[in-house]
Amino acid sequence: MTSGTPIVFVVDDDASVLRGLKRLLRSAGFTAETFASAPEFLERYDRDVAGCVILDLTMPGFDGLQMQKALADRGSVLPIIFLTGHGDIATSVQAMKGGAVDFLTKPVNDEELLTAVRMAIQRCEALYQAREEIAIIRRRVATLTPREREVLTHLLSGKLNKQIAADLGTVEHTIKVHRARVMQKMQAHTLAALVRLAERAGIDAAPPTEG
Amino acid sequence: MIVLSIIGFVHFYFEAGRRWLAYAAIAFRLLALLLNFATGVNLNFQDVTGLGRATLWGGVVVAVPVGIPNAWQIFAQIGNLLLVVFVVDASITLWRRGDSVARRRALLVGGSIVLCVVVVASFGALIVAGAVHAPTILTPGFLVVVLAMGYELSWDVIAAAQLTAKLRTSEISLRASEEQFRAVVESVPNAILLVDGQGKVTLTNPQAQALFGYAREEMVGRPVELLIPQWHLSAHETYHQSYAADARPPVMGVARELYALHKDGSEVPVEMVLKPMQTVDASFVLVSLVDVTERRQNERTAARQRDEISHLSRVAMLGELSGSIAHEINQPLMGILSNAQAAQRFLARDDVNLDEVREILVDIVEDDKRAGEVIRRLRALLKKGEVQNRPLDINSVVDDVMRLARNDLMNRDVAVSTELTPDLPPVVGDQIQLQQVLLNLVMNACEAMEAVSGTPQVHIRTRRADGGGVEMSVSDRGGGIPPGDLERIFEPFVTTKEHGIGLGLSICHTIIIAHGGRLWAENIGGGAMFRCTLPLSDHAE
Repeated sequence: MTSGTPIVFVVDDDASVLRGLKRLLRSAGFTAETFASAPEFLERYDRDVAGCVILDLTMPGFDGLQMQKALADRGSVLPIIFLTGHGDIATSVQAMKGGAVDFLTKPVNDEELLTAVRMAIQRCEALYQAREEIAIIRRRVATLTPREREVLTHLLSGKLNKQIAADLGTVEHTIKVHRARVMQKMQAHTLAALVRLAERAGIDAAPPTEG
Repeated sequence: MIVLSIIGFVHFYFEAGRRWLAYAAIAFRLLALLLNFATGVNLNFQDVTGLGRATLWGGVVVAVPVGIPNAWQIFAQIGNLLLVVFVVDASITLWRRGDSVARRRALLVGGSIVLCVVVVASFGALIVAGAVHAPTILTPGFLVVVLAMGYELSWDVIAAAQLTAKLRTSEISLRASEEQFRAVVESVPNAILLVDGQGKVTLTNPQAQALFGYAREEMVGRPVELLIPQWHLSAHETYHQSYAADARPPVMGVARELYALHKDGSEVPVEMVLKPMQTVDASFVLVSLVDVTERRQNERTAARQRDEISHLSRVAMLGELSGSIAHEINQPLMGILSNAQAAQRFLARDDVNLDEVREILVDIVEDDKRAGEVIRRLRALLKKGEVQNRPLDINSVVDDVMRLARNDLMNRDVAVSTELTPDLPPVVGDQIQLQQVLLNLVMNACEAMEAVSGTPQVHIRTRRADGGGVEMSVSDRGGGIPPGDLERIFEPFVTTKEHGIGLGLSICHTIIIAHGGRLWAENIGGGAMFRCTLPLSDHAE
């Protein structure tokens, strides 16, 4: 899925600022892509590439906060670094609530900006990596048969084989076989590892046995 | 003698009569007189042959000569004829002068003389010819003439007496009106000078003496240039001449700043009214002056206060716009900083790409200029300077304002559209104050739309005004102004805003009026439109 060098997307309505930022990012070894408006970015950006967005807060028509929301609606996890000429508290709170990683005031010093970019990219990569891992786990879960899934949820709730057999109305041996298959398909060597994987994939434990 | 006196009387009394006729009549009469002694017994008879008797009225019998008529008598008759012609001619001339007294006089005196001469002459001729036996008596005939003359002369005497009385009255009233004139001149608050055609002062009043610092006798008889500053003089001469040539009073209100020269050398600002006066033999100019030192000071103070208030309102407005202005400055600063730091990093490398660095420097210079321009505009608006009226393009005012307010409008989500007519003729005005007016109108428009649903829109338009000049208008969609308030909103402390103090529009109004223009509000579909017109500069068309 995600691969290659991360890209810094710069969105600002000011051509001169765009050129300056692109040069600065390049001088620090980053790859930058520039966009003169939010709609242009939303239309053109590469969704699969990791990186971050440097976003001007005030732009005509479609401003930074609107773009942040549009990105969130599309399920994007690209970290956003806001740039603003004059930060006011209300907007910055709103931006941070919306998931902005940073809120910098123009003119911003290179180190400050580059540090923010580095951290944002790391975060993005971590997010992408986590997303990747979950996808792998989900793919493993997908290979389970319905019965095996059932056994898995009961395992997650910490029940013994005997209890599971009773709950599912079968014998303990059958459960043992299912359990071994689940462990194998999920590539978990211990029960603790299985629980961690299931948690990350968002699989809930079966409700405790009644009575 | 009688003929001479008749001629003399008619000539001087009628102030008419042809001279040559008079001389001719006198010449023939003198000739007749000579012939009277030189020929025959007298001019009537060549020879007296006897005495006849003639009975006069009342039974008196007198002796009358009888004889051969003297042929030379013809000269006397020609003389008489000339006399009649002279008198008739003089009478006609007098008659033509037209007034009733002259006509009566021509008819009465001229008529009686002619009648008398004709009667006497023909009577004499008849006697001489022997047709009538009567003595040649001239007296009754001339009595009529004397009576007519006497009648006329007595009229004249009466008229002369009346005239004398009238003269005396008019002299008294003249003296009285002179007194009144003097009293008026002395008591008016204005300084007054009467200047004659030679430019000499002939009359002053105490106010003039106070204004100029001279005593009355120091001014009277002196040239008026004494009282005018040297630098005015060249202009004054042409002014004086043109005024004499074209005696229109100077138009008030557009009067130039005039100064009077005080004895101590100081210059006093004055307002002047000139009034030409024409007498029979001379022309004068009545100069009325008012010392306007205090008024000028008050005007200056008022103007200063107005500038002060408009400055404060500008500062307040820019305070509201500070965010927008910060953005306008921060953008280029951001560009400069990132470009410069990028360059530093590039230069720190081993393989320096100088072309890249050159491009960076070009961008930095551009951004620097951009920031400088914003600061220049800002400083101009914040500056507390003299109002500078000069020809300017109204569209440049709109451009400047848009540069400063753009970001603020963006933050308010206000869509601004402009409709600027290109190549408008220049108007006269102060760029800063006009920017202030536009900025104020635009911000008002934004605030008016805050409480209204729908997309806020501001439309700025410039164009030629219908009645000449240039018009700039700002319209919004803020629901408009209650019709009763359309005029009132320009009064101080009247506001429709929750937090307004109601000075903005009144300041705008004051500024536009001071520019000789007009500012008013109208309701258009769904909003208000503020329109202001400005007069064109003299240099335009």
